[in-house]
Parts: sequence; C-alpha cells; structure tokens
Amino acid sequence: MTTTAMAPVPAARRVDRRTRVARVAVLAAAVALWFLPVPDGLTPAAWRLFVVFATAIVSVVVNAFPILTASVLAVSAAVLTGLLPPAKAYTGFANGTILLIVLAFLVARAVVLSGLGTRIGYFVVSIFGRSTLGLSYSIFLVDAVIAPAFPSNTARSGVIYPLAFSLTEAAGARPDDEGSRRIGTFLMFSGIASLSLSSALWLTAMAANPLGAEIARTFGVDISFTRWLLTASLPTILAMALMPPLLSWLIGPERTATAHAPEVARRALFALGPLTRHERIVLAVFVVMVGLWASAATFALDSTAVAFLGLGVLLASGVLTLGDIAREGDVLATFIWFAVLYTLSTQLNELGFMGFLGQRIAGSLTGFPVLAAGAVLVVAYVLLHYMFVSQTAHMLALFGVFLEVGVKLGVPAAPLAFQLLFATNYFAAITPQGSSANLLFAGSGFLSQRDLYRLGGLLTAFCLALYLIVGTLWLRVVL
Amino acid sequence: MTRAAVTCASCAIAAVALTPAGDRAVRAQEPPAAWRAFDGSWSASGSRQTIPTESGRSAAVAHLSGAVVLANGTGIAAGFTGEAIGFDDGSSLTTGRAVWTDSAGDRIFSALRGGPLQTGRRISATITGGTGRWARVTGDYELTWQYVVSAEGGDLNGRSVDLRGRLRWADGSP
Repeated sequence: MTTTAMAPVPAARRVDRRTRVARVAVLAAAVALWFLPVPDGLTPAAWRLFVVFATAIVSVVVNAFPILTASVLAVSAAVLTGLLPPAKAYTGFANGTILLIVLAFLVARAVVLSGLGTRIGYFVVSIFGRSTLGLSYSIFLVDAVIAPAFPSNTARSGVIYPLAFSLTEAAGARPDDEGSRRIGTFLMFSGIASLSLSSALWLTAMAANPLGAEIARTFGVDISFTRWLLTASLPTILAMALMPPLLSWLIGPERTATAHAPEVARRALFALGPLTRHERIVLAVFVVMVGLWASAATFALDSTAVAFLGLGVLLASGVLTLGDIAREGDVLATFIWFAVLYTLSTQLNELGFMGFLGQRIAGSLTGFPVLAAGAVLVVAYVLLHYMFVSQTAHMLALFGVFLEVGVKLGVPAAPLAFQLLFATNYFAAITPQGSSANLLFAGSGFLSQRDLYRLGGLLTAFCLALYLIVGTLWLRVVL
Repeated sequence: MTRAAVTCASCAIAAVALTPAGDRAVRAQEPPAAWRAFDGSWSASGSRQTIPTESGRSAAVAHLSGAVVLANGTGIAAGFTGEAIGFDDGSSLTTGRAVWTDSAGDRIFSALRGGPLQTGRRISATITGGTGRWARVTGDYELTWQYVVSAEGGDLNGRSVDLRGRLRWADGSP
C-alpha cells in the first residue's frame, strides 16, 4: 500500500513560493482569530480550539501543509498553549475504531501479498469487466448486499477495500503510472461513494442510524427497519445508479471500454491454477472475519478485536511477516493524522462549540418559509461536516438541535428527520477525514489530497441536490 | 472550487460564531423583584460508567459537557459551556454538580438532584454561587432530558430543551 499525495515527504523537501504565501496567510488568519474577542457564549478554550482546528483543515485544503503536518502542528499547538490537557489530546490514539482502520490496512495487505487479491480481481472482471463502469457497479452491488449485516461501516470498508484494490490490479492500474492511474482513482472513489450510499440505504448499515432513529422517536417520528428502507430506497438507489457515470465523467479514467477484459481475466484465472496455501489461509481468515463482523452486534463482539484476531492468525501462519508490516509506513501516518483530527473535533464538541454553532445557525432561520427553512437546515447540516471527523459525533451533536428548530419553524418532523439522517451517511465523503470508512481508500495511493477534497465536495453536493429534490418528493409519497 | 468552498465555510462559521448574540437572556427579561428568569437548552456529550446493584439496576457515574444556550423571546441570547458530574446510586439517589462557564471564563456553580440520566427524566438544580460577574449569584433551575442515547464504548449524548430557572445576586445587583 503506497501513498502519493497523502504522503508529505516530497512536498516538504522543496517549498515553492505559492505554498509559502499560503502558509503565511493561513497562520496570519489564525493569529488574528486567536486574539479576537471570544464570542458570547463560548469559553476561550472552545473558541481557540476552533481556531486551531479550522486552521489545520484550511491549511490542508489550500495546500499550505499536507494533512499529517497540519495535524501534528495542530495538536502540539493545542497542548502547548494549554487548550487541551495531554490526557485528552491523545485519546484518539486509543480509539478502537481508529485502531480498526490500521488493522484493516494490514489485513488488506495480506490479501494483496498472498495473490488472493489478484484472483478476486480477475474473477470480478470476468463477470463485470466489459467496462470500467461495470467494475464500479460491482463494488456498489457487493457493498449494498452486505451492508445491512454490518453496523460498522469502517469494518465494511475492510471488506470493500480489498475488492476495489484487487480490481485496480486486475485492470492494470498503478499509482505511479500516469497511463493508468485514473482508473485506480475512479475505482477507489467508487469505494468511498459506495460506502456512504449503502449506509444510507439500510438502517443497520451504520452505527449512527439506529441512534438517530432513537432521537427521532422523541420527536414522534417512528423509524423501523422497513420504513427506513422504503424511504431511502428511491433516492439512494438512484444515486447508486448515477454515481459511477458521474465519477467516470469527473475523473476520466484512461480506459472505459474493456470488451475483451472478461475473456482475458478468465484465461488469467485459469493460468493461476488452484489456490495456494497462503491464499487459502487468507481466504479462511477473511471469511471468518467477515462472519464475526457481521454478527458483532448479535454476539456483542468488538470489531477491533476481530481484526486483531485476523491479523494475529496471518502473522502466526507466516502469510504476513514483520517485514511486511514494517514496509507499511503510510499506515502510521494515517493513524497519526486521523487520531489527532478525531480528538480535536471531539474536544471541540465537548467544549460546547458544535452545539453552540448549530444552535446559532438553526436559530437564525426564524421567519424563513417552511420549505426554505427545511432546505437550509439540511444544507447547513451537511456543510458543518467539514468540522467533524466522525459521522456519529456529528449526528449526536447536531441532529436533535436541527430537528427541534425545524419543527419549531413548522417543518414536518418526519421528512426533516429522514433528510438529516440520510445526510449523515452521504456527507461522509465530503472530506477524507469525514468518515473512518474513507481512510483505506484515501491511503491507496490512487487519490491525491486534491482529488479527495474536490471529488468529495462534488459527490456530496450531487447527493444533497438529489436527496433534497427526489428524496423530498418521494417522502411525500411514502410518509 | 473546493478550496474556496472550505475557506468560505470556515469564514462563515467564524462569522456566525462571532456575530453578537444580543443581550443576555438573564438581563433581557424584566424580572419580578430581583429575580431574573431564563430558559434554554443543554446539548451534552460525555461518558457513563456503571456497576450492577442488588436491585437489578446499575449504579452509575456520568460526566457530561456541552453547550448551554439560553434564549429570550427574540432568539438566542447567551451561551455557556456546561459541564456536570453526576452519581446515580441505582435506587433513588441521584446527585451531582454542574458548572457553567461563559465567554469571559466566569462561572456559575450548581448542585444537581433528580432522576437517573434517562430520556424523559427531570433534574432540579440549586445555583450555589459563581465567579467574576456571577459572584454571589443564587437561584435554581430545572431541566428534562428530551433524549439520552448511549453510543458505543460507553459514550453518552443527551439534550434538554426545557431548561428553565431564575437567579439573582445576593446583594441585589449584578
């Protein structure tokens, strides 16, 4: 697993003039905001932590710093200025979900190293491989089918990522090959888009969905498994159908028609012969892990412990070696930057900033027409995900606030609740840190920092428009 | 486009946060005598640790923090960061302490009592004092949990929307 633009090293060696200007501008803005009077209702710590967090995010977006650099500078600033005690500032490094990402990286590496990934890739190409669109649809299809059994979309990304990576290998895409790279970009972003939409399709496909349903119940909105599926079905399936062509148009993969690929893949599969010992072990481990992840809620199993078990078996059997793990340096970078941003965002919430901001925005809509107020609430809810590093944290911090204000303004509770809960899923792609389920794909080497923010923003805007227009009409029919 | 969008979003967030909120609710409403009434909401997140008891219920220690937003008739008027620690003994006793901190770092302290930390349960509080502009303040308030949900890992989130109370300064002036 290699990282290109997500890795900070090449950019750090030579800093061009534009980058220097961006750095100075971002830091100057940060210093100015730091010394502004603290807004009424916030503590100095909450306001200044927001300044630190926003500076980190904006500096990444304007290419002043790579995401790892921005994150480590941000956490050092937060601790050294006394905004956060060290014990709180480093809690992300002990977070189970973040550990799960690291473990899923390593297990996915075993799928590739053993050769099983290539075999899976050829198999899928032999069925769906007449075009790159077909490969993308195969990702959406597999994900949509398995999603209701996976309450953790991070764990599900551990299943979908090896499939997507295998497809890039079978399609001959390489991160460092300009003649094939965009095929990989297309398939990797298909994985991110697929996870966000499959989570919106099923009540049980994402941890925040049942929690949101529980909160919605206190507003008199009853959300059952079937009611969620019915209300989500039309806009989500439409989004799934339109997403591959949209991504293909935005990314422009080098090849789209691969009429002979299925036949070539079948011959390649035949040439591979029977499963090797390592492939059989990885396949068995993977099947057991998927089974345990799928039944994690039923049997109260911890998803991270399941991943530890899988990694342990792979190491004990010699499929993965310590040398293999030592070569996965990008995993460490991902672990650090995500843990830091997760912690800063969580602390910002605990200090009251998110609730205060949500209340301010929602409260400013007094006097708006009902339909406009509902739409603005959903748009604001989605845009605020730039400030969050967890879908569940975002939903818990703002869903109740926005729903309450909407109801007070006269917006019907049920459609607004469903719109906000669907948004909680599709806005995951808006930034690479918007969901832990994005991280495996973000670290694949096929997606640059620019790709991730640009495509994430466009995909989210597309889904927002589709759910607001088609979804609202559909909700009027089914509710 | 994305750069512009993110930069604009960040500036907008900062601008929204910096927009003056108007008069403080506790000062905007005409109080009867020296009492000043307030109402608002509290969105809180935190954690809860439990142990079983002989009654079948669990005893719990909870730590919550989040935004306390007070409103008057025209909209949002003041906010605090609210933090609370509570103890539920698993039978009838629930007690705790809370502190609200405003933008100047001044604090209002209160003692809590009431039902367990669950959806629909009510909490009563006595304001026991403060610091800075809230020094020598007394009063009381009540709130009902509109919802309390537990996420994975013992994380807890709750929201109260009918926080109502009154306060006054012991010497009669703020």
